[in-house]
Amino acid sequence: MKSNIPLIFEKGFDGEQQSFVPQMDVDMVDLNEILPENLQRKDLPIPNIPEVDIIRHFINLSLRNYGVDTGIYPLGSCTMKYNPKVNEVVAKLPGFTFIHPLQEESEGCLELLYHLSKLLGELTGMDGFTLQPAAGAHGELVGLLIMKKYFEIKGLKKQKIIVPDSAHGTNPASAKMAGFSIIELKSNEHGEVPLDQLEFAMLEGDIAGIMLTNPNTLGIFDKQIKDITRIVHDNGGLCYYDGANLNPMLGICRPRDMGFDIVHLNLHKTFSTPHGGGGPGSGPIGVVNELIPFLPEPCLISTKQGIACREKNDVSIGRIKAFWGNFGVIIRAYAYILALGAEGLKKVAQIAVLNANYLKVQLQQKYYLPYNRVCQHEFVLSDQGMPNNVTTEDIAKRILDFGIYAPTIYFPLIIPGALMIEPTETESKQSLDYFVEVMNQIYDEAKSNSVLLRNAPHNTPVKRLDAVLAARKPVLHD
Amino acid sequence: MNFVPHDNKTIAEMLNIIGANSLKELFQDIPKDLFIENFNLPSGLSESDLLNQLKELSQKNKVYSSSFLGAGCYYHYIPSLVDFVTSRSEFYTSYTPYQAEASQGYLQAIYEYQTIISRLTQMDIANASMYDGSTALAEAAVMASIITGKNSIILIKGIHPEYEEVVRTYCWGQNINIETEIIENLEDKLNNKVAAILFQNPNFFGDIEDIFKITKIVRDKCPDCLIIQVMTDPTCLGILKPPGDTDIDIFVAEGQSFGINPSFGGPGLGIFTAKQKYLRKMPGRLIGKTKEIEGQKEGFLLTLQAREQHIRREKASSNICTNQALCSLAALVYLLAMGRTGLKEVALQNFQKAHFVKKELSKIHGYEILNKKPTYNEFLVKCPNIKALIKQCKQQNLQPPLDISRYYPEMKNVVLVCVTEMNSKDSIDTFIKIAQSISNDKMEVE
Repeated sequence: MKSNIPLIFEKGFDGEQQSFVPQMDVDMVDLNEILPENLQRKDLPIPNIPEVDIIRHFINLSLRNYGVDTGIYPLGSCTMKYNPKVNEVVAKLPGFTFIHPLQEESEGCLELLYHLSKLLGELTGMDGFTLQPAAGAHGELVGLLIMKKYFEIKGLKKQKIIVPDSAHGTNPASAKMAGFSIIELKSNEHGEVPLDQLEFAMLEGDIAGIMLTNPNTLGIFDKQIKDITRIVHDNGGLCYYDGANLNPMLGICRPRDMGFDIVHLNLHKTFSTPHGGGGPGSGPIGVVNELIPFLPEPCLISTKQGIACREKNDVSIGRIKAFWGNFGVIIRAYAYILALGAEGLKKVAQIAVLNANYLKVQLQQKYYLPYNRVCQHEFVLSDQGMPNNVTTEDIAKRILDFGIYAPTIYFPLIIPGALMIEPTETESKQSLDYFVEVMNQIYDEAKSNSVLLRNAPHNTPVKRLDAVLAARKPVLHD
Repeated sequence: MNFVPHDNKTIAEMLNIIGANSLKELFQDIPKDLFIENFNLPSGLSESDLLNQLKELSQKNKVYSSSFLGAGCYYHYIPSLVDFVTSRSEFYTSYTPYQAEASQGYLQAIYEYQTIISRLTQMDIANASMYDGSTALAEAAVMASIITGKNSIILIKGIHPEYEEVVRTYCWGQNINIETEIIENLEDKLNNKVAAILFQNPNFFGDIEDIFKITKIVRDKCPDCLIIQVMTDPTCLGILKPPGDTDIDIFVAEGQSFGINPSFGGPGLGIFTAKQKYLRKMPGRLIGKTKEIEGQKEGFLLTLQAREQHIRREKASSNICTNQALCSLAALVYLLAMGRTGLKEVALQNFQKAHFVKKELSKIHGYEILNKKPTYNEFLVKCPNIKALIKQCKQQNLQPPLDISRYYPEMKNVVLVCVTEMNSKDSIDTFIKIAQSISNDKMEVE
């Protein structure tokens, strides 16, 4: 049996294709005169399909896809908040979409970039920002390359980065891409960084610094944060803040004051730009004064003549992406900050934390909560003690049957069978209550009818898919 | 303005259930001295005030009626379907499709994207996307170094200068050495320490190379070395021989030309393709087709995730996580809307119109076409007075071609002209007239 919606390539016809491009209006020559025949392709195996069939295909596909506009999206560490529609309108203004990155008359774009840098600086306490990175992981790479350059210029050989075991997987992967090796630090029984082990690790001598998420992936704000950053600084290291979890800190406190030197943000998480099904994102990097010279090119400054690029210097890490970052994403984040203002942003943090604690208190009545304390934007449950050995995957798949999306599963790695839940501030109490109702029913089903969970989902277009088969015999296109 | 759906009564009710007295109490883990009472930020705006403010800002940018500027970012016609499909919020407000059964629509679309890209390029496999052409090229260089265990890369002159800088940054991160060579020197420079050679075709200056000449030299001299090609405007593939037919190991491209507006250079689309044998070393997400565990229906999911950072952590093939999914959806819809006929037509118009302008310019006294090889929609022209040319283009509401000294200071009075299907005969005539009107001006002192 085929998938329910045939691949688009099964459509196609020999009729006249809808014409989109302007009528050819200059004199043509024989193509072979311009391009030797041996450099021309023989055939182009792409179908001609009537427009109406294309549209119906994608509308039908969209109906088999779940977005924030469909319902609650409690994916931990992903901050799936509502994406305001005005931001889409703003990003599609012709004065932005038709601007070429190499054109001179682009004051509007440069001002926007510069002002957003300043706003992000105020929110995080950092002195300088680059908006060049295209995503959070890209930002991490940039931040780590800045560390690398900083020590290189100082003539110090620092080859290791400390990463707690609760960190996002991108952290160690980014560190490796910047040429560092990793020292993993085990979290203590409170889910925090153990100070004694940190001090011990720092004594090794060739530690460039630490990468930290705070609140961490358990949703816990590390109370000893200032001691952590002090220990790293005392031993000559730098502190990197993974901003994936900045949402509950907006308008409350700032990474700089916690002692961080480098911060990355995810505009597609904290600042409401749509995730687009996995991108495009934007991962700005903020740094303290001492590190500004190392920021990638181009780097904007304010001059008497307006916003301009600073002159190239010898210590910048260089360019990390062509042109100006994901400008279309950056516009949306700028609009979001302007719309909310100081008060609105603070409210974001407060309600994000309220919603998470509300869910936590209700769900821990039936589900196991390994770290039982006040959480920030998210919290982590586990399948430990579930009736009939029902697993986290079973729970997640069953959630889909209720027409809502599942939490992040099996992450963070330090909790076996983790279910990581982040409701965000834009979910109403009714929406949260429905989620609780669903989770409670699933728990009861685990007791009374666990087969139902093991075979879930039942109401989705396809049932549980064979991931092992997919990896063993990869079929990546037709 | 904020988008919080709670009233005060609800907040109080929820606090009560939590067992907290105030919102502030929920932040009890944060040390007191870290709290900031007042951020120096503007007050919020209503939607209409926000729109006005941003409209005003956007009007500080100049939108030209026609453009002769390319150099890595192109004006092509975008069928109306593209924005219509990518504006479906089931697509654009979704996350990476971790829960496959609730994300079949997007997964199938990206599987179709991988299919259409491998058909267009004739490469064995395509991934779900990279950030842009420049980072795709940089990751390809790193990947070649990992595959071969060698740490030397040769760049052939003619790669987009910004791409070259990005490759240098990434390679410095991983201690990979880079040399830039002109193509004529390639044979002498190859040795068994070289992990890969990187070249752009059509190159930054517009030249189209006979790729077989390059691949033959490399295969003869250095069989282990990977051959990596990059392209900044893949609309040429409507006519040009695809990389899969020319023994390329890794082919990457900037896909902005496929239905994505310039938008000041981003977001674009990093197209990444390779030979089958490199599959498990590839960076980025891959969508695979599979079956139900208990059932016969086919379905789609993220596959081969053992290469990726969330599982492999520091042993991953790359750190990439978020990519440019929505842009790959746009590219898919663009390629389907155009179809075989439309893609050929676009490529043909670009070849022909650019050729027309090239021919007309070459007739004007003082203008010299610098390309000796075939070209697609871009070419280099030496002109008598570049300042006057640029100024007059602007006065006539034409976006002027690129002054190439921006990247190559030694190349004075040379412009990189780009002509696409969007340049009407009228705009072309105006451009030619401007060139004619300043043909007798004296050359600037070099």
